Amino acid sequence: MKSNKSVGRTIGRAVIFIVLLILAISFLYPLFYMLINSLKTLKGYYRSPFALPDEKLQWSNFATMISQFKILELFKNSFIISFLSVVGLILFGALASFAFAKVDFRGKDGIYLAILATLFIPTQVTIIPMYVTFAKMHLVDSFIGVVLAYWAAFLPETIMLMTSNFKGVNDALLEAAAIDGCGYLKQLRNVMLPMGWPAISLSIIFFFINTWNDLFTPMVLLKSMDKRTVMVALSSLIGRYTGDPPFQYAGLLLSAIPALLVYVLFQRSIINGMSMGSVK
Amino acid sequence: MKKAISVLLVFVMLIGMTLALTGCGSTKTTSSAASGSSAATTNAKLTLWINGKDSYISPDEQKLSQDQWYISQAIKRFEDANPGVTIELVVSADGETAHQTFKADAVAGTAPDMANLWTGQYTFQLEDAILDIKDLIPADDKKNITGWDAVTSTNTGAILGYPTSDNQVCFFLYNKTIIKECGLDFEKDPPRTIDAFNKACDAIAAKGYQPIASDDGSFPWFGCYVMNYWWAQQSGVDRIVSNCAGKTKFADDAGLISALTYYRKTMTAGYLNSDAVTSTDSWNKFCQGKVAMTPQVSSVIGDAEKALGADNIGVILPPDFDGAKITNSTIGGPGQDIVISKATKNPDLCIKFLSFLNSKDEVLKFEKVQQKVPTRTDITAADIGVSDTSATAKLFKFSGNMVFWIDNTLTSDVCSEYCSQMPMVLSGQMTPEDFAKDLDGIAAKSAK
Amino acid sequence: MPSKTQGAASLRRGTFQQRQKRSALLSILPVAVILLAIKAYPIAATVYRSFTNWDGLYKSDFIGFANYADFFSSGLFAKLLKNDLVLLLSVPLQIVIGLIVAVLLYEHVPGWRAFRAIYYIPQIISLVILGYLFKSMFSLDGPVNQILRAIGLGKYAVEWMAHGSTALPVMVGCITWYSIGWQVIVILGGMASIDASVFEAARLDGAGFWSRTFKIVLPMLVSTLTYCVVMSVVWTFTGLFSLIYSMTGGGPGYETMTLDYMIYEKSFVSGTQFGMACAISVVLLLIVMLITAAEMKLSNMAEKAWG
Repeated sequence: MKSNKSVGRTIGRAVIFIVLLILAISFLYPLFYMLINSLKTLKGYYRSPFALPDEKLQWSNFATMISQFKILELFKNSFIISFLSVVGLILFGALASFAFAKVDFRGKDGIYLAILATLFIPTQVTIIPMYVTFAKMHLVDSFIGVVLAYWAAFLPETIMLMTSNFKGVNDALLEAAAIDGCGYLKQLRNVMLPMGWPAISLSIIFFFINTWNDLFTPMVLLKSMDKRTVMVALSSLIGRYTGDPPFQYAGLLLSAIPALLVYVLFQRSIINGMSMGSVK
Repeated sequence: MKKAISVLLVFVMLIGMTLALTGCGSTKTTSSAASGSSAATTNAKLTLWINGKDSYISPDEQKLSQDQWYISQAIKRFEDANPGVTIELVVSADGETAHQTFKADAVAGTAPDMANLWTGQYTFQLEDAILDIKDLIPADDKKNITGWDAVTSTNTGAILGYPTSDNQVCFFLYNKTIIKECGLDFEKDPPRTIDAFNKACDAIAAKGYQPIASDDGSFPWFGCYVMNYWWAQQSGVDRIVSNCAGKTKFADDAGLISALTYYRKTMTAGYLNSDAVTSTDSWNKFCQGKVAMTPQVSSVIGDAEKALGADNIGVILPPDFDGAKITNSTIGGPGQDIVISKATKNPDLCIKFLSFLNSKDEVLKFEKVQQKVPTRTDITAADIGVSDTSATAKLFKFSGNMVFWIDNTLTSDVCSEYCSQMPMVLSGQMTPEDFAKDLDGIAAKSAK
Repeated sequence: MPSKTQGAASLRRGTFQQRQKRSALLSILPVAVILLAIKAYPIAATVYRSFTNWDGLYKSDFIGFANYADFFSSGLFAKLLKNDLVLLLSVPLQIVIGLIVAVLLYEHVPGWRAFRAIYYIPQIISLVILGYLFKSMFSLDGPVNQILRAIGLGKYAVEWMAHGSTALPVMVGCITWYSIGWQVIVILGGMASIDASVFEAARLDGAGFWSRTFKIVLPMLVSTLTYCVVMSVVWTFTGLFSLIYSMTGGGPGYETMTLDYMIYEKSFVSGTQFGMACAISVVLLLIVMLITAAEMKLSNMAEKAWG
């Protein structure tokens, strides 16, 4: 009886593992696809996008990306925008989330809902009036305009994420801090931030990647060639009649690297599994 | 209170930080051009938007640094000839979005001096923000450049810009080897009637090749390049315009129904690839020699010659319906223009630049970088160094007699409905009659 | 609650509660300012313009509810809403699969570290690329159909993206696949606040995987799951633009078009129907608000029930 059960369980575990493995392979496939295509010649790409490169590997695509296309300078622009966006989101988000999660005040639910409601309007709609406002304030074609647009776009989501996470923090810890003489900000720093670190890591990952990959907002708000972000610059490589997909894929792969790095850096802070208890 | 102040301080600091950083960023944009000339009489700075795709900048040029692009060098030549003038080049990443940002800028009062837009309705709908240059264009330019129809407003008759030097021609690009193998000769004996065309496609299909291939899903290319010609040649362009104005009906437009029916037939008869509504690889297949014909525009000739060899590709006009009002013609015309916004402070300087850009000299220099059929009538195929027997030379010939892009002639509301619903007709999910009725509904609404 | 044991200093600045309240309001201030300054005008402008025939430039005459009447009577609304609702089916799929995977990773299935890293990768790749890739895979002679034909299921090897009835399920699949990583990571983050000892105890008691997941984990994750549901629903209604753009462009016809994409069509593509685009935005806003309010209510009820 016991051996049947454990055989069953082992088979079950094996099946689960295989399913997870297949999913993982499918998740890796797009990167693989981009890699093999970035190493093809244009002709090779047209012959078959799915096959492996059959001619000499075109590492030159990557070299040209860095030297002539100056992708590293584009990285700088994207990075400034993403970094400032994330910093602002975390700062303002954490401040506000603490209030929503742990303090009771009049009109809390109403304000919370109002903040959420701004999420429900897609960017396509708000971009033009926003553009007009920014133009009047001379914020068009400036990084700060894009950063402000991102703050406005992502703060509701940040607050939602952090609030739901902060709510789970044990009230007793806060009280202890208050007795120790911690004011609002100290409580935030000493209690909420360490306990709410998963939410903060999540936010850093989400919003860095989101702002890094975003095409629409910088395309509309930024004009100067030297302020372009990576994604906008890469999107101009494929037109209606002509285009160089392998070259573009090389650029896309390179631009995935910073995003991947941020993810790898911060994802360890998220739950490590059962080894991490909440009893401190 | 101390805590509140520190919160506010952090807020202010953050804003300050970003402002400072962007301050560092923007000092770089004061253009490096025209550094020397201080004794200028006209110290003017103009902004010029150019589309990053399918316009003055080729994908090959994108691999070079910006100052090596044709357009940058043309600007430099103009600046050198006009001391005190600087032109800032701004590349619009997406041609479609450029129209919206131009609009938004116009409303905000920050429109550029000159902008590269798409001709026809795309430009006409921005008319309120664009300068009418009818009286400013030098007479020589009016004489030596074609394509002014494409930029003359159907609403007010104003001339809204210079057509770019890219007089696109639509045609069937064909693979000479395959055609020969099927016992046909499209150079000596091209199929000029629908009947002859059907027979040719049958012969090609019998040999196991795909007669026609096109990706008509996300945008109906075959529809806009060729089917629109079949429509225009049977109904006449005036009829199409009055349909859009609601004065006549699409539903009664026999030419439209006939063209759409034949369009659908090319798929049911197996002439057109059966997955035309979702495919993305018809160009690949053509380049691999699996497809005999594909409806295309001038811009692809370069790629086609690279893929199959200049001796192996040819171009033919689309066949004509019996009794058509227009024959031996095709769709074409400049698809893009450069407009001058009403808000510019230097209209004369802008005209000077556009005239310069379209001068014979400049166009010849441009042709060295990207071979296109120019809008200047005083440049021949020989001037560009194109051999008489090449496909491009033939396109030069075709370009003398074209029907301007029908999708740019339709009003924008009708056009977007038209382009969205065409795949439904092609795949048989909507009848041509229902399609026409749908268009009538749209036309009626916008006519109000 | 040690509210009055602070001393003279605190009495000057008010009670602890009062100070907390003041600080709370002040900390919401930056957010409120940013949102008001940047979002309020565009939203107000959108609502106002929805009642006009604005063409994006200078023409803007008041036409009352004409845009709305047009939109609802044209049959377009019904079709777009239907498409949105079909795509919404991906949400329960994402969350259930995400929850199962998250618990598996939490329990340190072999390779859990690698899986956790890899599962998020689709989120790092632009949706436009993924949409295009899926479209190629499901093309008439693409890999999916090739496999179907090879295993004898050739009659199912159709032109997937050519009909709404087959394209929408493919899109649901793509959205689900893409979102699994996101769900896993958010849920794992939420599981940080689960008391590991309760979990251990249940395991030792012999509770099976399913009862562990659905009877123990689920009730403790109410607020996290609420976040997942709300954000996924909102994203389905407002964030799928890139995917639809690259997969079908809303086509053929309007078969795979959503409310959100139609707004883009009417404003950016058509170019003159900005007033109508605004009206559709308002309709979308109301629908999403309604659904979210319903979700929050359900979530409150669940929280009270499972505490």
